[in-house]
Amino acid sequence: MTVAIEAHGFGWTYRGGPAPALHGVDLVLGRGEVLLVLGPSGSGKSTLALALAGLVPHAIPGTATGSLIVDGLDTAVTPAPVLGDRVGIVFQDPAAGIVLGRVADEVAFGLENRGWPLDRMRARVPEALALAGLSGFERRGTAALSGGEQQRLAIAGVLAAEPAIVVLDEPTANLDPPGMASVFAHLGAIVADRGRTVVVIEHRLDAVLQFVDRILALDATGGQLAQGPPDEVGERWARELDRQGAWIPSAWRRHLVRAMPAAVPAGPTLAGAPGVPAPAAVPAPAGVPHPRTASPLVQPGAVAARPVVARIDAVTIADPTASAGPGRFILDRVSLEVGVGERVALVGPNGAGKSSLLLALAGILRPTEGSVGVATDPGLLRDPARLRPAEIADVLALVFQEPELAFVGGTVRDEIEAGARPGPGRDELVAGLLDRFGLARYAERDPHALSRGEQRRLSVASACVRAPSLLLLDEPTYGMDRRATDAVITLLDEARRGGGAQVVATHDPRLLPSCDRVVGLDAGRLVFDGPVAGFIAAPPYEPADPWRIEGAGFAIEAGVPADDIAPGAGVPAISGGRP
Amino acid sequence: MSFLPAPLEPVRPAILRDVAPVTRLVVAAAWLLVAFVGVDPRVPAVLLAAGVGALVAMSGLPLRASVRRMAPLVIAAAGLAVLTLVVHPSRSDPAAATLVDLGLFRVTVAAASAALALALRLALIAVASLLVFGPSDPTTFADSLVQQWRVPDRFAYGTLAALRVAPYLAADWSSTRAVRRLRGIEARGPVASLQVAGARMLTLLVSAVRRGERMALAMDARGFDAGRRRTHFRVIRLGRRDALVLGAGIAVALVALIVGALP
Repeated sequence: MTVAIEAHGFGWTYRGGPAPALHGVDLVLGRGEVLLVLGPSGSGKSTLALALAGLVPHAIPGTATGSLIVDGLDTAVTPAPVLGDRVGIVFQDPAAGIVLGRVADEVAFGLENRGWPLDRMRARVPEALALAGLSGFERRGTAALSGGEQQRLAIAGVLAAEPAIVVLDEPTANLDPPGMASVFAHLGAIVADRGRTVVVIEHRLDAVLQFVDRILALDATGGQLAQGPPDEVGERWARELDRQGAWIPSAWRRHLVRAMPAAVPAGPTLAGAPGVPAPAAVPAPAGVPHPRTASPLVQPGAVAARPVVARIDAVTIADPTASAGPGRFILDRVSLEVGVGERVALVGPNGAGKSSLLLALAGILRPTEGSVGVATDPGLLRDPARLRPAEIADVLALVFQEPELAFVGGTVRDEIEAGARPGPGRDELVAGLLDRFGLARYAERDPHALSRGEQRRLSVASACVRAPSLLLLDEPTYGMDRRATDAVITLLDEARRGGGAQVVATHDPRLLPSCDRVVGLDAGRLVFDGPVAGFIAAPPYEPADPWRIEGAGFAIEAGVPADDIAPGAGVPAISGGRP
Repeated sequence: MSFLPAPLEPVRPAILRDVAPVTRLVVAAAWLLVAFVGVDPRVPAVLLAAGVGALVAMSGLPLRASVRRMAPLVIAAAGLAVLTLVVHPSRSDPAAATLVDLGLFRVTVAAASAALALALRLALIAVASLLVFGPSDPTTFADSLVQQWRVPDRFAYGTLAALRVAPYLAADWSSTRAVRRLRGIEARGPVASLQVAGARMLTLLVSAVRRGERMALAMDARGFDAGRRRTHFRVIRLGRRDALVLGAGIAVALVALIVGALP
């Protein structure tokens, strides 16, 4: 028996769902093959993953159509635990699924549940850890692992049970660039022996395409667009997938060009991004050492031309849980100025201090040393932690990564109105925002009932209600497809119409071209402050960091002149990574 | 970033780490029972002395961190003791024996004894809980409950999973506060404060349900609670050491009772 997965007209409608989440999937996948599932948000990719693992229909209510045979078992009638022995699934957010405190216990958890005898577990746990590149991690605490390590732990936990089929549902969506790199680096080993069939759903297509034998492309309604070998699917369907808002591998971009000769630039360009004043297109940074951090990549005066809306000065925040050593500071003597109307990208690995910097700017996290000031009036900087709520809302707004946590109103209209200044004109203001952000038809709905993209729009809209001079955003494109990412950039442009500055913490290189400036953090320290082109040319992170790998390819796409991408082109590169 | 205290972990080999958690639980339960049954402050005093001795010599826990962990309860114990001195009924009884008389403030022997007993008992709770939960991690604890006492898997490991989610909920709770501050929403007066607290609880509930669902799905996908007999990666057996610790623990409890009964 050589067929691993066989679908005939398979579809699924969640209970209470208005339309099928997935329909008409026809697919035959041989044992040992690697399948990549492509499609825009809402195309049913995760539903397919849940169906392969038997969680649909057995753990989640709804109605199936057609048939789905996995490893010879019909998913409609096979109990989930039996299917679960053949199929392992890795989810987006590794931290959401880790049950136990120690690495070895966590890997063994699935084996215990399946009743493996002790001696087999003892032999298998180190093998599975080795496959995921975690040898020697047995006694480590799971909570102290990095995001990439946690995700590889989840993969080890799945591989341990020797499933015939492994499903990876956006395994790097929640990871920072180093985490992604570490997962992709071990994906090769996992697919290499062809012993297991792998189904992968992933936005970072360039990194996975090399492993892939077949592609299943889904459309925005959850229907099957195409399936076949990557080259074939790329040639015939790249344009349609792009049109529907899905990410496509950069190698497929040539198909777009061929199909539309004089068309659409391939992605946003630095120069063309709306509202970006004479960008970053290099004069290469002068390399003046920063007076405080003495990092050659930090240029003082990068924003000197603009009046300042916020300034943090030698801010240090101590980590209350750490006793001593290098991890002692969440932020370590960071100084930064944000100019009026400027959009600053805040980048760096997880734990570098990006979110903490945003919270410090908002006055929520108090610095141990140093000072934070936001401009309440032109030229007057005040400590945000000492402002009253009514005062601070006039100056700045923060859009959290999880929009749901920020909801304070019962309806979309209430939600926007809640932060508005009382007085005449409020209704018009709210109606205007509902309109500008495409929320008018949801005005009376409960914010929790909106889709993730709509929730994001609502949280940005409600942050704009007092036209703050500083808008702080934490990972606004996290887990989004291309269309949604473009929509966020449009949102940011819309939010900037009032002239406010924006600081955007992000792992997403695709946001960079729309920014005026990049601020890079690493382990709490400022390692870069300068123009976007300079950052892309020489990201101050380790050589294996996708900011470097993806950054270069991306820079070409973004329209940065090739001369500036050549290593060391005018920008002092830090050899050997971390300073 | 977590603002919860880091878990205490044994830093050196120790007998209490090598016994089953249920053994420590049984001894601690016996001690607390004795301490609260015995009226004389000498009963909890003996147990507390033994407990501190065990903490230093047998638990392997880092002392400074242990002291810091116990500090809140010990401070609370001292406060309650002072309160007992002040409000004890014997103070209004002129016939009650006086220990110290400060003119305005008279400390009776009965009040001092009651205050001391209370303080010692509370300090004993702090030490005993460190001795029970400190020497091994929560997983070992759950494993021991399942293997020794046949506690259902669903309960034991479900509780562990809930423990994992707790720090996220703590972070979510402070986010809901920050959100309101930044959006200029001020609660004026008790009614408005209650309304805001209610709305924040609702947000937290939504987030807790979502996190719980994801955790449950991940556990389902790994075959948890599928009606099969689970095996155990960590085998916890009761052995000679457990008998030793149990015997010594019970002996200490008896000694405490005897000392308490002395004239």
